[in-house]
Amino acid sequence: MKKVLLATGLSILMGGTAMAQEIGATISRFDDNWLTVMRNGMTEHAASLDGVSLQMEDATDDLAKQIDQVRNFVASGVDAIIVNIVDTSAGAAVTEAAGDTPLVFVNREPDNVNELPPTQAFVASNEIESGTLSAFQVCNNLRADGKAGGARGYLMNGQLSNQAAVQRSKDVHDIIGIDMCNFMTLIDEQTANWSRDEAQDLMTNWMSSGEPFDFVLANNDEMAIGAIQAMKAAGMDMADVQVGGVDASQDALLSMQAGDYDVTVFQDAFGQGSGSVDTAIALAAGQSVDQKVYIPFKLVTPANMDDFLDKN
Amino acid sequence: MSDTSHGTGGLTFDKSKRSWPNEMNVLFALIIIIVVFEILGQALPYMKDQSFLFDTRGRFDSIFNEARLKIIILQVAIIGIIALGVTQVIITAGIDLSSGPLVAATAMIAMSFGQTELVNGNPNPKAIFGPWAMDLPVIFPVVIGLTFGAAIGAINGTFVAYFRIPPFIATLGMFLICRGIALWWSAGRPVSFPTESYKFIGSGMMPVVWFLSLAVLFHVILRYTIYGKHTYAIGSNEEAARMSGINVRRHKVMVYMIASMLAAFAGVVLSAKASTAQAGMGEFYELFAIAMAVIGGISLTGGRGSIIGTVLGAMVLGVIRSGFTFIKLDGSYQLMAMGSIIIAAVILDQYRQRSRA
Repeated sequence: MKKVLLATGLSILMGGTAMAQEIGATISRFDDNWLTVMRNGMTEHAASLDGVSLQMEDATDDLAKQIDQVRNFVASGVDAIIVNIVDTSAGAAVTEAAGDTPLVFVNREPDNVNELPPTQAFVASNEIESGTLSAFQVCNNLRADGKAGGARGYLMNGQLSNQAAVQRSKDVHDIIGIDMCNFMTLIDEQTANWSRDEAQDLMTNWMSSGEPFDFVLANNDEMAIGAIQAMKAAGMDMADVQVGGVDASQDALLSMQAGDYDVTVFQDAFGQGSGSVDTAIALAAGQSVDQKVYIPFKLVTPANMDDFLDKN
Repeated sequence: MSDTSHGTGGLTFDKSKRSWPNEMNVLFALIIIIVVFEILGQALPYMKDQSFLFDTRGRFDSIFNEARLKIIILQVAIIGIIALGVTQVIITAGIDLSSGPLVAATAMIAMSFGQTELVNGNPNPKAIFGPWAMDLPVIFPVVIGLTFGAAIGAINGTFVAYFRIPPFIATLGMFLICRGIALWWSAGRPVSFPTESYKFIGSGMMPVVWFLSLAVLFHVILRYTIYGKHTYAIGSNEEAARMSGINVRRHKVMVYMIASMLAAFAGVVLSAKASTAQAGMGEFYELFAIAMAVIGGISLTGGRGSIIGTVLGAMVLGVIRSGFTFIKLDGSYQLMAMGSIIIAAVILDQYRQRSRA
């Protein structure tokens, strides 16, 4: 599994940390909350390693600027570069700009991920896991609630143009398709554009038809919270409905603590950041590294939510 | 356009000159759309003879599906508050594109002063300021939000009226500035966990209460006050209005200020309803607000339009949105259909204008 790959990846590079390493990193934007946690993961992990220095630049969502930053890193002779790419369809341009200097793509998957030269790698979480983990846990909870004879519910999609949204919705359909969970049926699925207030209105519209339902699955926490707010406003008991989302945001965890929210999934920002530094060091030392390093998503339920309250 | 040919220049808004109030047409369109959804509910094979507006399962005391009636208006109430302002701006032959981002910026700023210190016993993880800004009386965030809106509106109005920048350009610039302010305010992070009294502003049917009371207020103001008469006069013929002694520039600044304050209030209500303020909020709100006014029969060349029309236009959008979810139409088709309906509304309205002239 991916954990094994990661573990081997990490153990390989223990030898490479002895000599001085300079790493340059460019992040698509510094003001993004989640990316900031990832950035802190990179900084803290680099500081904990002997002889590793990390220089961080903000690409301010400007691809041309980011490619120039990569060229500047190459010109000043860094040992490795980490790129959180602004535009995932520009992977080839970034790959070319790096030349022979080892390069690690982090978090966002470049379109050329399958054609990377041996000096480059990709570190992220596998998007297929997130929607699957969340939907499967909701399926298990419904079984535990004695609803294995048949459960009906709704699915809220993120922006229809967004790859993660499309993937997460597909994961839900896949889970509903497996034997163990095929007692679940979708009454309807609609987009609420990742947004809490649109999700409130969508949920209220659904409820106005008066059809009974047992679960609501959303592509992210914000929409799940919007659905919960709408259901509570309509006087529903949240113990009767399973709600699943993705992100493990602060708002979501506090909603879970209040007993309203059932399942979410944590994308390990800090882990992706430190993992990208480790992979960059291994590449710089000339070690062969798995070209796709996956940091696992983690399932969050009321049982383990306290571990995540101060993260992301 | 021949808007002035049938009017009186707007100074004395003479209702008797109109044989058939425009609002009646919007009302008919509204009824027709409801009937169409009612028929679709019966006709579509997967709908199992559901009714759009009526209670067929004995869930409510009345014959209507009350839950549907509520959501139809609730989901357009907040954009409707913006539409009340943009209606006045369009009557003066202007336009306001800045309202959507202004909603976001005001939501962020106002909620920063309406946060609660403890969330289920934990310190508020989204706190923007220190304890001094926590658990303030609800009047503080509201007044701060409205003041911010008034300032933005004053700037819009000044550029339009005194610097003679086309309203489209001035408010387009403000559109970008306000989105920038919303992003800058907390470096992109959401502002969450408001006090109970702040939440109350947007809880339950409160957005509808605000929308309808403000609609009544501005209907009266536009119909029966000097402010209203001057607004129509400027839109019908700005030169004539100036000649007859109206301080056109000062009046325009006032109209833009009122519009922005309404948008700012919409931002407060929206953030209270969602219990969070986020920099990306209010996307496309300015366009839907304009669409409500346009469906309600407003003329983009100014001088014609009414609050009643805009409220009906909002209802049309609300019915369409609920109806699409009712018949389980996919999101991408919803946008196509909604766009077509907006264009159809304007074509019908122009045809009616021409045939009467």
